[in-house]
Amino acid sequence: MPGQTPDSAVTDPARPRHSPLALGVRAILRKRSSRIALAVLGVIVVIAVLAPLLAPYDPSAQPDIVSGKDLAPSLAHPFGTDPYSRDVLSRVIYGARLSLTIGILATLVSLTFGVAYGAVSGYLGGFTDAIMMRFLDALLSIPRLLLLLGVLVAWPHLSIGALIVFLGLTGWFGLSRIVRGQVLALKHAEFVTAAEALGASRRRILVRHLLPNLVSPIAVAATLGIAHVIVLEAGLSFLGIGVPQPIASWGNIIYDGADQIARLWWMSLFPGLFMVITVMTLNVLGESLRDVYQRR
Amino acid sequence: MTPLLSIRDLRTYFHTEAGVARSVDGVSFDIGEGETVGIVGESGCGKSVTALSILRLIQPPGRIEPGSRIEFEGTDLVTLDDEAMRRVRGNRISMIFQEPMSALNPVFSIGDQVAEVMRIHGGVSRRQAWDRAVETLALTGIPSPEERAKQYPHQLSGGMRQRVLIAMALIMKPKLIIADEPTTALDVTIQAQILDLLMQLKKEFGTSILMITHDLGVIAEVAERVIVMYAGEVVEHASVSELFAHPHHPYTEGLMGSMPHIGHDTERLNVIPGTVPAPTHWPTGCRFFDRCRYSWDRPENEHPPLYDVGTNHQSRCHLAVEPQHRNQPHEPLVIREGAGAA
Repeated sequence: MPGQTPDSAVTDPARPRHSPLALGVRAILRKRSSRIALAVLGVIVVIAVLAPLLAPYDPSAQPDIVSGKDLAPSLAHPFGTDPYSRDVLSRVIYGARLSLTIGILATLVSLTFGVAYGAVSGYLGGFTDAIMMRFLDALLSIPRLLLLLGVLVAWPHLSIGALIVFLGLTGWFGLSRIVRGQVLALKHAEFVTAAEALGASRRRILVRHLLPNLVSPIAVAATLGIAHVIVLEAGLSFLGIGVPQPIASWGNIIYDGADQIARLWWMSLFPGLFMVITVMTLNVLGESLRDVYQRR
Repeated sequence: MTPLLSIRDLRTYFHTEAGVARSVDGVSFDIGEGETVGIVGESGCGKSVTALSILRLIQPPGRIEPGSRIEFEGTDLVTLDDEAMRRVRGNRISMIFQEPMSALNPVFSIGDQVAEVMRIHGGVSRRQAWDRAVETLALTGIPSPEERAKQYPHQLSGGMRQRVLIAMALIMKPKLIIADEPTTALDVTIQAQILDLLMQLKKEFGTSILMITHDLGVIAEVAERVIVMYAGEVVEHASVSELFAHPHHPYTEGLMGSMPHIGHDTERLNVIPGTVPAPTHWPTGCRFFDRCRYSWDRPENEHPPLYDVGTNHQSRCHLAVEPQHRNQPHEPLVIREGAGAA
């Protein structure tokens, strides 16, 4: 264009913004598989949120313990009933609520600890970093399930709140490693020195300049982390040490029907299906995010 | 008149496992109000470390050695506490970095980044900071600054990004701007635009500028006084006109010889053979000895002081007292050594 200075020959100002968040959303919407996953997950989330409106029965009510138990799926009870005559569909719907809530809250706990620990360790560096990382190595050497089993066997009858905290507290080790590595790589980036040269404090640099650059790995870790917690919770409930009765979670519905799995197949099949679908969609979304963030 | 910045015997050493790297080793100079001073030298001569030392941005294992003094507006920056030092940075003294891409945070809009400086030092609201950022961006010649301010660094060209960095350095109207190779990463045409912009802004605000570069052409264009650094030391110090008319130190001569001249039909540019020695092992006598065309054996082998060689002109070369050796140029020693050692 005549008259234009050479260095203004760049993209037009109307181009949309590219924050990491926008990039992630676009990446998910671009791929068919992740669009479907997002839609399916959306339906499950809506079911969980609207559980009281959608569930045909009270999930813990035992209307007729004699003639209403162990009923195969029918129109009145699409997912059948359990040995206590409770409606499995209602329990699965309420279970979605609980399993997702546990997954999200426990992951939030993990993210808070993982990001804080990793960021501090990486940013301070040196001796502090070495000590913090050796401590992490020690924690990482114990399998997560074993840690949880130990805790839950030592303290039976934990409340759901405590269960969430423990699930979260055992889930941040890997993430904090990733965060620490990123902070370590970024803290010598020129824009960090530039921010220092302009008078930004250490805290400001960490919070304003380093953490926002970690959105991508955190988003990936969060998505995959929720899926992992859902499976873990189900596993613990299946072992009878997770969510206490009579509250419904996908894991303990399966547990209720496990000893008669051949006869009461509907009790394991439906909550199991829901769980598998949820975990799959979360994994597909996490992988899509990882793809776009790693490409950059 | 007391100068704005007065550096005396600045020594910045890096205490590494391989030994003590004396990257800046006894540097002294002044910068007056509104003055532009250039530091020139090749990679590894200590010019960037000098710049970072002024802002106390030296990371361990590096440290400014006790006894060094950096007086700015009457206060010694070396002994200032961290919080007070933080208030100097970006506010009274700011810095422009070499790489306009990597010196900007990729995940924030440029307006946010310029406004942030104002938020750190100005005690103003988000809205006010943003308005000032847009104003300052306009001042640096960024077209349609309101829209540009909302863009991210990767949406801007190199020259535009450098203007953003200048806006960040300028927004608090500092007394001194340190520009570390501000045009090295840019195209030649953009380089000229950026230098013009710096000079115009300097006139407007009366800011002093410390221009760090390896390019004598840049120095000739903008600076009033030049400091030539070699191996962690000032080796020559003069006004620009004096330096270009009568370069004294053989290293300065070498730097000038390695510049292309329009009209001179030389096949190849002259180079200074060899590289700067390792800062852990500076030679004991003259540090330029083995790369020098005039070097001769002095039985004392003492370290040359800064000799006065003219009005306001100093040179760290024994030629000042034994000028006859200038008549006997020879191949530098490093070439003879290089054949066997390298």
